[in-house]
Amino acid sequence: MNMYVHELKALRKSTMLWTVVLIGLAVMYLSIYPGMAHDAKDFVRLLANYPPQIRAMLGINLSYITSILGFYSMIFSFIVLCGAIQGMNLGLSVLSKESREQTADFLLVKPVSRPAIVTAKLFASLTAILATYWIFYAAAILIANGVKTDNFDGKVFFLINLTLLFIQLIFFAVGMALSVLFGKLKTVLPLSLGVVIGFYLIGALINSGKNDPAVRYFSPFNYFNSAYIIRHSAYEAPYLITAAGIVVAAVLVTYIVYSKKDIHAVS
Amino acid sequence: MNVIELKHLTKNYGKSRGINDVNLNVEQGEIFGFIGPNGAGKSTTIRTLLGLIHPTSGSATIFGKSCFDHPEVRKELGYLPSEVFYYEKMRVIDLLKYSASFYKKDCTRRIHELADAMNLDLKRKIADLSYGNRKKVGIVQGLLHDPQLIILDEPTGGLDPLMQQKFFELIREENKKGATVFFSSHILTEVQRMCDRVAFIKEGRIIQVEKVRTLRENNYKRIHVEARNRLDKNIFQIDGVGDLKVRDNEASFIFRGDINAVIRKIAGLDLINLSVGEPDLEEIFLHYYEKER
Repeated sequence: MNMYVHELKALRKSTMLWTVVLIGLAVMYLSIYPGMAHDAKDFVRLLANYPPQIRAMLGINLSYITSILGFYSMIFSFIVLCGAIQGMNLGLSVLSKESREQTADFLLVKPVSRPAIVTAKLFASLTAILATYWIFYAAAILIANGVKTDNFDGKVFFLINLTLLFIQLIFFAVGMALSVLFGKLKTVLPLSLGVVIGFYLIGALINSGKNDPAVRYFSPFNYFNSAYIIRHSAYEAPYLITAAGIVVAAVLVTYIVYSKKDIHAVS
Repeated sequence: MNVIELKHLTKNYGKSRGINDVNLNVEQGEIFGFIGPNGAGKSTTIRTLLGLIHPTSGSATIFGKSCFDHPEVRKELGYLPSEVFYYEKMRVIDLLKYSASFYKKDCTRRIHELADAMNLDLKRKIADLSYGNRKKVGIVQGLLHDPQLIILDEPTGGLDPLMQQKFFELIREENKKGATVFFSSHILTEVQRMCDRVAFIKEGRIIQVEKVRTLRENNYKRIHVEARNRLDKNIFQIDGVGDLKVRDNEASFIFRGDINAVIRKIAGLDLINLSVGEPDLEEIFLHYYEKER
């Protein structure tokens, strides 16, 4: 418990910052919505002139774009990108910072097992992610209700938003596994930006192509298709299961590798 | 009872580094010195013992248990690493309280006692502390839970002489209260001063384990002779001489044995200068024990 509280305190500032950034993005994009809804026809005509590949890449779906859910799901991909970076950053750093900041010699000679350390840090990170997510979600509801021109389906809105949490968790878990597999991480941000944006671009390319169901497995950003969610008020089970599988596998790898890892002296 | 037991402990890092077949027992209540040049394997041995590094083969236990299988044995362990680093953003007192929270007992009184003894300001931020002050935080952190085993890895670097003395007093007090102390260093005078027994490690192997008292009783001298005339290269080729260097009219060596034998030799020379001093432990180890292996 002491480690959990300590970790939570350490994460407090960055979590607040990420939450503010995510909400800021939502405010920024959604504030365009009223204007766009007003000129909906012109807007659709404009977007129709884009090549279909580009539209697919940006996640623009002409039949939904002018509804608040359609618009939201388009701009939501940027928020998800941001959330993914947060998750990855957190995952990469939460264990590796003890080595990077050279505090491993303090923590790892305390009378606690390595798995207990992983557990404490895992739960503290999950708390940070959940806090970010729920505060963002609450803010998103307020903003969406503020700018809507028509009523929208709250369940679909919830389901779309929940994909943020899924993506945060996937990248967090993968980040944690990567951090224990790498010998020593000197810096975290370039790596997390690289990995996340890499997957994002892969996802965008997959979207612009044939969008083959098998190819979609390559990027977590393609596991949750908002057009599908809007149409069915549900997720696609195979991708949801894959996402869960990735998280569970990455967490297991983390526990196993971290317990066996040698913690070398400073310098 | 052996508080520390190393049995055939080996750790390979590929080529040459690491430790090889290290066997060592430290008994309860001892102050045990662990000497060797930098890179000899002192830290590797200690880190394996603490459960930071997994041994390639062999075993390392404290209180009869491996830190990997029984991490809870470390509740009786106080460790001071050679380089101290702590959570920069915390205040000293918060760090110490965090440290204490792992031991499930109230350490507040002890924290203040130790901080007073070491003259450490508890309200400052870690980030603002000088190297010496960080070291003090490390010392308080290592002792605040009254550990039964204290492991120190090159503990005195960065402390001024006064503080070093204070520090050794603290360690002696803990030892009197019953704590076993395991203490690595390459500064030999401090080991000589503190320890009951010493082990010398070189290139990953223990060369010798010896009582400090025995070492002293053996009457080693470092002798330097400067004569008026050119010296015969073989003049000091007698039993008990080690590390002999003869150059022109100067000779220098370590001697163990009946001092009269050397004095008789020296008496036959026309001297400009003569010095007889105490060799340090490293010299003794290097020039006697290693050769005898």
